[in-house]
Amino acid sequence: MAFKDHRDFFAVLEKEGELVKITQEVDWDLEVGAIGRRVYEMEGPCLLFEKIKDYPEGFRISNGTTGTWHRVALAMGLSKYASIREIYRVYEEKVERKIPPRIVKKEDAPCKEKSMTGDAVDLYTFPSPMIHEGDGGRYIGSWDLVVCKDPETGWTNWGMYRFMVHTKNWLTGWPQTTSQLAMIFKEKYLPKNQPMPIAIVLGTDPISHIMATAPLRPQENEVEYVGGIRGEPIELVPCESIDLLVPAHAEIVIEGELMPDKIAPDGPFGEYPGYRSGTMCEGVAVKVKAITYRNDPIVTMISLGVPPDDSSIAASLTAAVSMKKGLLRRGVPVTDVYVPPEGVTHLIIVGVKKGGIEVARKVLDFFTTRRVMTNKHIVVDEDVDVFNMSEVLHAFATKCHPGRGIAYEWYEGRSNSLTPCYSPEERKRLKGVSVVFDSTWPLEWPRDIIPIKASFKTIYSAEIQEKVMKNWEKYGLI
Amino acid sequence: MAKEWQTFVRKFDDIVEGEVELFIKDLSPGPRKYDTKHVRARVVKSKEAMPDGDVLWIRSESGLKASKSWYMKIIEELPEWVPGRSWENVLDVIGRSHRGER
Repeated sequence: MAFKDHRDFFAVLEKEGELVKITQEVDWDLEVGAIGRRVYEMEGPCLLFEKIKDYPEGFRISNGTTGTWHRVALAMGLSKYASIREIYRVYEEKVERKIPPRIVKKEDAPCKEKSMTGDAVDLYTFPSPMIHEGDGGRYIGSWDLVVCKDPETGWTNWGMYRFMVHTKNWLTGWPQTTSQLAMIFKEKYLPKNQPMPIAIVLGTDPISHIMATAPLRPQENEVEYVGGIRGEPIELVPCESIDLLVPAHAEIVIEGELMPDKIAPDGPFGEYPGYRSGTMCEGVAVKVKAITYRNDPIVTMISLGVPPDDSSIAASLTAAVSMKKGLLRRGVPVTDVYVPPEGVTHLIIVGVKKGGIEVARKVLDFFTTRRVMTNKHIVVDEDVDVFNMSEVLHAFATKCHPGRGIAYEWYEGRSNSLTPCYSPEERKRLKGVSVVFDSTWPLEWPRDIIPIKASFKTIYSAEIQEKVMKNWEKYGLI
Repeated sequence: MAKEWQTFVRKFDDIVEGEVELFIKDLSPGPRKYDTKHVRARVVKSKEAMPDGDVLWIRSESGLKASKSWYMKIIEELPEWVPGRSWENVLDVIGRSHRGER
């Protein structure tokens, strides 16, 4: 059975030794962020901070809900020891199926247990963490799910964007200008100078948060894919003050309006590429109209930074499968795509049945046509396991011709402004460059001149391999 | 005891002495720490020039903290926001306002 909220997932994490409840009082001001960051860097457990300085008993903060592959596997109902390849395979299979959400009554929605509206709204009720030293403020929205809607088509978009507490009833945030939220706002609301209803949701079932990172195509509703992966519909409930539906079992739902004509500072913030690189004061402002929340609410945090963490792992899964589908649609003979978390969606590994520089250029074209979030792409032959970075590095080091095997393309107006190596001027203009490293054998090389890979499985005959394996223990080897 | 505030600039050199429009974060301990105020204030570099002023810490766009604080007095509190289009640079808007271009 699928997880319906954060709490039943935490019960499983605890049983599996993947959750630590911290009962000692901790400070929301940097201490929880520092603990969370160190635990990510140790690939440690999910954390639930149960006693927060300055806040009443019951108000809690979590970190790292699905911050390791073990916990992503558990979220998908698999063994925690499932391989990355297996997690990808199951996700790819399940994401083909869409199950529409079920709408429930307010009485059946735990996220409505408590509420505040209008002048009573006070974001300081919640222990929003000051995550990194030097951030622009307290980010209540870090591991969140942000809902907005196209008023004409009804398309409801779920994304994951940072949101900072500005005052008791204002948030500021920074959805990238190339995001789908920005697309809806700029096309449907800004020209009419109208505010856009928006809901920032904390603490849903784990798959909903993961899918909020998925780069689905416009007009695709993430909630239906969440249903497909879970094998049952997500329960949604109408908001109190705006016309949006939100997960009924969420911990906290912040309802507001993204203002077209008012701005205030957001950022800087230690972001997912693993740096705090100067994106600030160029975001959006949200006037909060209502907040509903569960008893003993949990603020879901990600102490974002160098990988691995929830973001780099979720994006590895959701981005790779979308990329594979897109490349196949373009006629690239893809076997697998891997987005290594260490590469924070800047580095992509593409396995192909038949390589060569023309195929590599097709790969580059695919990644640079629209908004460009990636910039380094390694194309390998199908005998290379894309999930094994040792094999990938070996292929890159030995098969990528430094002169003929590299192609790159510059573009402007659609790059990733969080890419740390871009200059401030490039970031401002969304100017970027993407490169492909063709680490496959040239197609024109005849079979008899292609170097033979000197590995056990490739340089020995089946007979010799079989003999060696049969006698392995007799050699005194285990 | 003087209150402490924090503000962000692109580069440390961007802030100048005199009357300025700023978004400042309240560094007083407690659950409302980092609450934002939008103010018109007089800012100076040295404590001697404003012995009874509040402390103002400056951070750059990367969050780097300047080694020495400035000092300030709030002249007027302003709305929580400035007029502008979403994704417009808040600091540019304030700069234009300061130059009388708004």
